[in-house]
Amino acid sequence: MTAVKTTETAAPVGNIPPALPPAVTGGARKRRRRGGAFDRALPYLLLAPALIAILWLIGWPVVSVFVTSFQQLNLGELVRGEVVWTGFENYVTVLKDERFWEVSLRTVVFTVSVVVASVGMGLGIALLMRVLTPWVRIALQIAMLCAWAMPILASTTVYQWMFDQNYGILNKTLVQLGFDSFAGYSWFSSGTSTLSVVGLLIIWQAIPFLAFSLYAGLVGIPRDLYEAAGIDGATGWQTFRAVTWPEIRSLLMMVTFLSTLWDFKVFAQIWVFRGGGPNGESTTLPVLQYLEGIAKSHFGVAAAISVLMMVILGLITFQYLRKLLQTEEGKL
Amino acid sequence: MKGWRGLAVGAAALAVAVSGCGTSTSGGGTETKEITVWLMDGSAAPTLTDALNKEFESANGIKVKYEVQKWTGIQEKLTTALASSTPPDVIELGNTQTASFADQGTLADLTADAGQFNSGEWLGGLKDSLTLNGKQYGVPFYAANRTVIYRTDLLQAAGVTTPPASRAEWIDAINKLKAANASNPDFQALYLPGQSWYFLLSLIWDEGGDIAKQDAGKWTGALDTPQAKAGFEAYKAIYEASATKKVPADIDEAKPQQMEVFGTGNVGMMVGLPWELGGAVKAKPDLADKTSAFPIPSKKAGSSAPVFLGGSNLAIPASSKNTDAAKKYLALLSSKKYQDMLAEGGAVPGTSKDTAKLATNAVGKALAASSPNGKVTPVTPKWAAVEAGQNPLKDALTAYLTGAKTLDQATKDASDAITKAMA
Repeated sequence: MTAVKTTETAAPVGNIPPALPPAVTGGARKRRRRGGAFDRALPYLLLAPALIAILWLIGWPVVSVFVTSFQQLNLGELVRGEVVWTGFENYVTVLKDERFWEVSLRTVVFTVSVVVASVGMGLGIALLMRVLTPWVRIALQIAMLCAWAMPILASTTVYQWMFDQNYGILNKTLVQLGFDSFAGYSWFSSGTSTLSVVGLLIIWQAIPFLAFSLYAGLVGIPRDLYEAAGIDGATGWQTFRAVTWPEIRSLLMMVTFLSTLWDFKVFAQIWVFRGGGPNGESTTLPVLQYLEGIAKSHFGVAAAISVLMMVILGLITFQYLRKLLQTEEGKL
Repeated sequence: MKGWRGLAVGAAALAVAVSGCGTSTSGGGTETKEITVWLMDGSAAPTLTDALNKEFESANGIKVKYEVQKWTGIQEKLTTALASSTPPDVIELGNTQTASFADQGTLADLTADAGQFNSGEWLGGLKDSLTLNGKQYGVPFYAANRTVIYRTDLLQAAGVTTPPASRAEWIDAINKLKAANASNPDFQALYLPGQSWYFLLSLIWDEGGDIAKQDAGKWTGALDTPQAKAGFEAYKAIYEASATKKVPADIDEAKPQQMEVFGTGNVGMMVGLPWELGGAVKAKPDLADKTSAFPIPSKKAGSSAPVFLGGSNLAIPASSKNTDAAKKYLALLSSKKYQDMLAEGGAVPGTSKDTAKLATNAVGKALAASSPNGKVTPVTPKWAAVEAGQNPLKDALTAYLTGAKTLDQATKDASDAITKAMA
């Protein structure tokens, strides 16, 4: 989990160096005529500290997880600092466990549903923001900023109160509205229902970022394109298909890709709600990894699970990555 | 000149730091300046620890960094702490956790020093829990078991004048209490969350069942036996009777802390530990003279049900660098003075057989009455994995109480999960 997290948080840092070179290379080109080896190496030397830092931050945890996954590393080995190589034993243990497959499938379904719902709603709100009057839009933006600024555990606690069986505002409201069967209704009685509530929370937390990013993309589309479409007599849907969609498609793909990374490895919200229960039915891969690694102190097995998580994540996002690279190449 | 000196100091410091990573000095002896002590929330009263730390500091000239830890998530926290280069020097472990930590070689072997910790008077149940292959990996701290803590004023008002002597009488008392407080919609005659699994153990043992059975060194889950199932049925009967607005079936006694709920005044009884009553009284001092306790009644009239002997051991991490000072600390804590203070605080002391101080209040009396009947979870290093993470007993209770699974299915699944975890 650490590895995935580091990759993703460090990614923006990785994007900065390419922005720097023009000035640096420009300087180097002038000097190259004089032809010193030091001058030629200078840009790389200047880049080196950042590169080393990135490799250290991203590369080391990944290598470490990978190496650990081939070891028997329980509490005893960890405390004594022993290294016990076991080859592929951890992978065999994990892959032979039918629970792993069940949990993987659940994680993928959960991730896809949450990503589709949150990106869809984010796009909807972004489109809405463009047609709102400034005051309403500012109110909406402030509300979303507040939602975004709320710490994960705080909002998770609030959601727990809202969905509380006996005292939750949701059940009380539903009863007031005449749905008497919701008195004492448990929203956490099955895995599906628990994950739906967790999913709702995650969508709520994700929408501000998605809406703001997509709105920024929408604002950048020239107005005259819409005017031209209006003159041609295009309907709203046709305008969206012909003008808006091509302009924001790559941005939309980018945020979908990011959302997939984030939602796949959600742990805190699921764990805080019901610890992956009831009966383990809301256990996703990050929760399984926590149970193996931290609760049972089988760190090698947990590392094997995280390597497999990376593989699954790679498979899910493979198409996105490829398309993303293709569009960028097409533009260049 | 100054710069060079700084560089030299820096290089020396670096060399020390690097070499320090490789060596593990056991028993810092005279160099020890400070020891870190981790005790658990609710285990020893501040009056005890203040006096203890003060005496230790003045006698040895070593500072005590005393930290109180919460039970929730302690397994994870200990794992991280023990693997670090600066672990605490004295830790408190739940008796069900001790075997697994000892088995992994993370605790210092204290067999040779047992004499200075009053080993002649160690509490049997706790001694077993810290002994692995004939070696002792800790010192018993205290034991406590659950009793039914109740509000004397509310029970009296409901016409229950003597504490119930059997399970049937108890349910009867719960119903009377419920009827007498029918006007309060939030009233819970018995605060019983659906996952109070230590209480479930009492009922299972009372019916003659057990969690798991050992056969030729192999443990198998035994929750699907008729006796264990009867325990589940008894739990359901009590849970159904407990209140009109029942506590949700999918939470345990720690989230929210049941003592906090008891402190709200809307609760007539709870199955809890003495420190939980202490917590409730601290939050609401007027509860002090309105509360008492009786042992969990058995289904046989006149006797009390077996109880889970909860308790703690004290241990020294194998990676501690201040072993000698830590041993001195444990020796002081196992002396009669502090053991008496523990008993006074309402716990069965771990290194003293003298429990006279314990029976001075009602809760202590109930505790002393039921502790001879104390039982423990299977003593095996594998047990800790059952409790940490997703406890099959809790899952079975929730599934059975909510009707998600039949009794047969729920108990069979839990039994299989336990067999698998202990394999």
